[in-house]
Amino acid sequence: MLESLVSLESMSLSSMDVSVLERLKWLQQQQQQVLSTTNASPELLQFHGTNNDELLQNTFSHFQMLGSGFGPNYSMGFGPSHEAMDGCISRTNSCQMDQADTVGVMLKNSEENITISLKNKRKSEVKTREEEKTEKKIKVEAETELNMKVKSNLSNTEASSETSKQKSKAASENQKLDYIHVRARRGQATDRHSLAERARREKISKKMKYLQDLVPGCNKVTGRAGMLDEIINYVQSLQRQVEFLSMKLAVLNPELELAMEDLSVKQFQAYFTNLPVVVASKPSLMVDAPLFPLDQQGSLDLSVINPNQATTIEAPSASWETQSQSLYNTSSLGFQY
Amino acid sequence: MKQTNAHMERQIMNKRKRVFSVQEKKNPKAVFAKRYVSHLVPALKKINMNKPSSQINSKSFEQTVQHEVDMALALSAQEFAWSRFLQHKLLSSPHEDPSYSSKILETSSCKQDGKEGAEIKKKLKELQKLVPGGEEMNMEEILSEVGSYIVCLELQMIVLKSLVQDNIS
Repeated sequence: MLESLVSLESMSLSSMDVSVLERLKWLQQQQQQVLSTTNASPELLQFHGTNNDELLQNTFSHFQMLGSGFGPNYSMGFGPSHEAMDGCISRTNSCQMDQADTVGVMLKNSEENITISLKNKRKSEVKTREEEKTEKKIKVEAETELNMKVKSNLSNTEASSETSKQKSKAASENQKLDYIHVRARRGQATDRHSLAERARREKISKKMKYLQDLVPGCNKVTGRAGMLDEIINYVQSLQRQVEFLSMKLAVLNPELELAMEDLSVKQFQAYFTNLPVVVASKPSLMVDAPLFPLDQQGSLDLSVINPNQATTIEAPSASWETQSQSLYNTSSLGFQY
Repeated sequence: MKQTNAHMERQIMNKRKRVFSVQEKKNPKAVFAKRYVSHLVPALKKINMNKPSSQINSKSFEQTVQHEVDMALALSAQEFAWSRFLQHKLLSSPHEDPSYSSKILETSSCKQDGKEGAEIKKKLKELQKLVPGGEEMNMEEILSEVGSYIVCLELQMIVLKSLVQDNIS
């Protein structure tokens, strides 16, 4: 069946570069070997089935640049196989799957290769021209994605050449890889310090903005000194309050045992929802998340707590989802840079 | 098709609900509060048991309470540099260390105007003293640590307030 498919390809894609087809065939063979050796192949195929749309789009965009006629053929090939991927993958569709799979796996490998090459600075064993091209494009895409975030902080007055230089610098900073891949550009040597300075200042101003949101009353003050003042006052007041409360609690201690058992989840909930402070960097509000039973020696009444959990779980899950997602996406208590 | 879609949606929702029930445990504020209370309350009980009530106003009592409170804070939020530093300080020596010279802050070059630069440096030094471990951080680190420290302080306050209110009512 594979041969029939290949022949179909060759017939419909006379305009295609023959070498590409040959390479693809070779890759297919390679990937088939890889697939046959991997034990988790059915799961792999299923995984690719679910991600097929993404991979499809990637492959389309890349291969369209290489050859025009490739795209439609893939859509034809994937059409029927896509439906077959919903359930278990049958043997009869395996060839089409293989084709889709090879591309997907190739793409995956190329992505892995990017990270590997970026990390270890060594080239992968299998590397055709196509892969190189896809690598670069993926890298560029990844960088452009990162740059979208960084660009919002860049000042608009910068010249285009400067922005491109800063793009490389900022992208290299934001890529969370051990090895920072910096592209050498002309005239960058002398500007490296200023670039580093600028990047540093951007970071600092980002953090100051975050703190501005965190500390109440910072919006009215302008300038770093004023904001720092506010922050210092706020931290001091918080610390004093904590001290006062803790002393009060310590004095009231004898009744503490009783209090712990009466401590209901709802109370904490109320406090957490009334918090004006937003933890996440994204503008999402506090989640009505119930506390789990505290592991105290005086065991809490679980029956009291469970209904609370149940009611909150039935809360609109859509909004909850986004809120909790954003909560979980940020590092445990807020910061992610 | 519609039926399968709806069915799939329901499945997804159920899965998400299930995921929620597991991920709720990881709700950072809840985790913090739980850890905080679980440390602080037994510690306070122990303090009360060991010392007679006549000593409540003594300095050592205050210090012990402060120690336990700080410890609870440090243990409840272990992901941050300041909390690790605080834990270290509490565990190693009960005495306060002499303040380091904030040399790191001086070496970090802030390109500000002359006056503003000096002011800001002064403020940052103050901030360094407030945040545990601040003396060893440069400007960037301090700013990131301050944020998490503030959040934890606020959480701490909420927990303490609710504990106190429970005691009173």
